[in-house]
Amino acid sequence: MDSLQIGSYTFSSRLILGTGKFSNSTVMLEAVRASGTQLVTVALRRFNREQAEDDLFGPLSAIEGITLMPNTSGASTAAEAVRAAHIARELSGSPFIKVEIHPNPQHLMPDPIETYEACRILAQEGFLVMPYIAADPVLAKRLEEVGCASVMPLGSAIGSGQGLATSEMLNIIIRESGIPVIVDAGLRSPSEAAHAMEMGCEAVLVNSAVAAASNPPAMAEAFAEAVAAGRKGFRAGLMQKSGSAVATSPLTSFLGTC
Amino acid sequence: MLMTTLPEWLSDNRGTTALAAMLSPASSQSIETLAAESRAITLRRFGRTMTLYAPLYLSNYCSSGCAYCGFASDRKTPRHRLEPDEIRRELGAMKKLGISDILLLTGERTAAADFDYLQRSVAIAAEEMPRVSVEAFPMSVSEYRALADCGCTGITIYQETYNRERYETLHRWGPKKDFIARLETPARALEGGIKTVGLGVLLGLSDPVEDALSLYRHVRHLGRTYWRAGMTVSFPRMRPQTGGYEPPFPVDDHLLARIIFAFRIALPDTELVLSTRESANFRDGMAGLGITRMSIESRTTVGGYCESENEESKERTDKGQFEISDNRSAKEFCAALRRQNIEPVFKNWELSYNGPSSNIKLAM
Repeated sequence: MDSLQIGSYTFSSRLILGTGKFSNSTVMLEAVRASGTQLVTVALRRFNREQAEDDLFGPLSAIEGITLMPNTSGASTAAEAVRAAHIARELSGSPFIKVEIHPNPQHLMPDPIETYEACRILAQEGFLVMPYIAADPVLAKRLEEVGCASVMPLGSAIGSGQGLATSEMLNIIIRESGIPVIVDAGLRSPSEAAHAMEMGCEAVLVNSAVAAASNPPAMAEAFAEAVAAGRKGFRAGLMQKSGSAVATSPLTSFLGTC
Repeated sequence: MLMTTLPEWLSDNRGTTALAAMLSPASSQSIETLAAESRAITLRRFGRTMTLYAPLYLSNYCSSGCAYCGFASDRKTPRHRLEPDEIRRELGAMKKLGISDILLLTGERTAAADFDYLQRSVAIAAEEMPRVSVEAFPMSVSEYRALADCGCTGITIYQETYNRERYETLHRWGPKKDFIARLETPARALEGGIKTVGLGVLLGLSDPVEDALSLYRHVRHLGRTYWRAGMTVSFPRMRPQTGGYEPPFPVDDHLLARIIFAFRIALPDTELVLSTRESANFRDGMAGLGITRMSIESRTTVGGYCESENEESKERTDKGQFEISDNRSAKEFCAALRRQNIEPVFKNWELSYNGPSSNIKLAM
């Protein structure tokens, strides 16, 4: 069986869903169910223990077969992310933590230095650390060295819908990585998710593309199918793209005949 | 009187040509085209959500003479200040409404409501609420640092108008009269470790298009100089109030909508705020089209939340700083948002993120 392995966890679905930006939690839960996802991320800042109607964690934790991965969205330093991870583990019981550290709250680009530091600490503490990072091949290896369970490079800016704008760098990350590479952020359409899987990503994470669709549950299902198809394509071995054309006058005639 | 020269960024024209083209009511871009673009950007970047906050008026003592304000020091308005136990009661009443993101307000610095009072109030509020912002008087870097250490994450400080001559006429006396000092306040707050600054102009005081362009320059200047700066932009518009001030440059709904759409397009990642100064109709209409943050259940009188829990509050004759136009309860307002397929979000922050920011000023 082809499954996604992270730490001791095994997932048959390779689609990870984000849970923000939905018009209400009913639609969000329908999308989660329709996607067949088994791993869902939820921001600690959207946990609300005082007001059930405003809380995302409660209804998600009630769904069977779902593993929750709290995220530190909103943190701007390693220290804040580490504190948030501790609280999130306490509240959710999940060993997963998606490290999101974006000191600039406008463009939400991840801070590589703070992310590295937070991941180093949290991996040592036994978390399954899943860092959201820029598509930087060196940072990806540095995070693998400190014990991250995966790396989650961005396809393009959060909420931009620009797809796999970083594909050159993603290819290097995938080629070199010994831990699962999961594209996180920027995807707009199911075909882009399929493309990421064909490139060799182990999974993709989507949120805006589903939440902002006209019909979020139907879009979630479409992403699930695209991810599965892309994975199958990758496993089946894509035909080589045509290489350089063969020159009409041989380039190696100077070598003579052997 | 124009002794100090204006900062260079006020004449920085990067990005302003495109913005000016959208802002002009004579623009070739129809308001419908702008609305569609603004809506698409908002949906992509912020999703189908609206972050909610509520103001808490701590004190209406004031030392300034803003010609347009119901709390100016020459108004006959009765003055109050909330004491710590009253603040706790107000916070309790707000929490019952679901509020977890608050804005604490005072007038300009006075002996009755000075920095120590404000700092104590912030500390009390931060015990109860994950997100506490302040709209008070300009402070020093070290005062902002002390507020950030107490859990204050945001400062709202409107320039009111970026037209210096209009500004100096409207601010008749008091510390607020100094245009340049006010202009430099958001930068001081960021240097003091405040994470987010809220900027705005009080629409109606001066040429709204010119003011909007300067506001944009201010946002871009702060963003480049302090790269960690969180920023929000508000669009308060003059409404009738105690002083009876008639705004000389009234902004109608069409122009206000155009300004908001243009800002969403020009600043696609910035939170745009609309308060209960605006009508239910306008707020419902603008939700999802560009605005991402709204106030709810506003009481612009000091002690307004506990009073409204009592029946006799309806008899109250005190006037607030300005009159609320959208009087709906949180419940009614949220129901209207939900009808539009927008989720009201009460808690969108976490206490563990409340440490001071480490902004370092970059030379520009």
